[in-house]
Amino acid sequence: MSLLGWCRWLEQTPLATTVSESIWLFPLVEGSHILALPLSVGMILMFDLRLLGLAFRSASAAKLMADVVRWSKVGFAVMFITGGVLFMTQASKAYGNMFFRTKLVLLLILGLNAVLYQSVFYPRMPQWDAIGSTPLGARLCGWLSLVGWIGVIICGRTMAYQF
Amino acid sequence: MTRALVSLLDRLSNSNTIVLIRDSSFGMPAVQSIHLVGLTALLAAMLVLNLRLAGLSMMDWSLPSIERELRPWALGAIAVVIASGTLMFLGNPTKYLASAPFLFKMTALGLAIVCQFGVLRGFFMSEPDQRRRPINVMVACLSLTLWFSIGWAGRAIAFV
Repeated sequence: MSLLGWCRWLEQTPLATTVSESIWLFPLVEGSHILALPLSVGMILMFDLRLLGLAFRSASAAKLMADVVRWSKVGFAVMFITGGVLFMTQASKAYGNMFFRTKLVLLLILGLNAVLYQSVFYPRMPQWDAIGSTPLGARLCGWLSLVGWIGVIICGRTMAYQF
Repeated sequence: MTRALVSLLDRLSNSNTIVLIRDSSFGMPAVQSIHLVGLTALLAAMLVLNLRLAGLSMMDWSLPSIERELRPWALGAIAVVIASGTLMFLGNPTKYLASAPFLFKMTALGLAIVCQFGVLRGFFMSEPDQRRRPINVMVACLSLTLWFSIGWAGRAIAFV
C-alpha cells in the first residue's frame, strides 16, 4: 500500500469517521490540540528563555528544566494523541500539504535538538549552573527550539487554511 | 453614536492594510499564526504563575519573583494578541459582532486582565504560604478557567 493509500485507509477507519462526522467531537479534539500548546510548547519556551538569558536569569537551569519538562510531558501527550486523531480525519489532504510536511520536518529537527541537548548539555548542567554561565552550544539549542516551535505553530495554523 | 461607530468600522475594515491582509493568500493565516504564538506565550506564563500559586510547580522560587520575571512577557504577549486580534476583527467586523463566542471571548479577556492585574494581583505579589492552600488553589483555578476560556471561545468562533 502506498503512503497516500494508507492515508485514505486511515480516513475510513471507524475512529476517523466518528470524529469527522460528529458535530462536537472534531471541534473538541481540535480545540484540545490547540489549547495544549501552552502546556507543551509554552513550557519548553519558558526554558528556552532561561537558556537564552531572557528570563529567569538567576534561577538554576537544572531545577527549572525539571519543573517545566514534567508539565510539558502532559501537554505533549495530549498534543500527540489529538494531533494523531486530527491527522486521521484529514490524512490525504494533510499528505499533500506543504505546511504539514514542513511541520513534520520541524518536529523531527526539534526532536533531534532535544536528544542533542539531553545527551551533551543536560549531564553538565549542575556545573554551568554553579558558575552562572550558559555554554554557547546550549544557547544555540535554545534558539533552535524557540524558532522551531514558533515555526511549528505557524505551519499548523496555516495548513488548516488549505484544507 | 452607533451610526458613527458603524461608519468608523466600515472605513477601517476597508482600509488598504486590512484589504491587503484579507485578500492576499497568506495575509490572514500570518495574522492568525502571530495571534496563536502570542496566545501560547500568554497562557504559558499564566500557567506557570497559577501552578506556582496552587503549589504544584516551581516550589524553589518565590511567587513574586516569578511574577516579576514573567510580567514583561505576559504584557508583551497581551499586546501581540490584542494587535493581531484587532486585525482579524477588522477583516470581517460584521461576522465577529454577530458571533456569541466572540462576545464571550471579549468578556472573558476583559475579566481575565482585570482579575490577573487588578483584583487578584495581591495573590501573585505575595508568598502563597501566607494563606491557606485551598484559597490559593481556588484562585488559580478561577484565573486559569478565565484565561483558557478565551482560547476555547476563540476556537468556537470558527464552529458556531
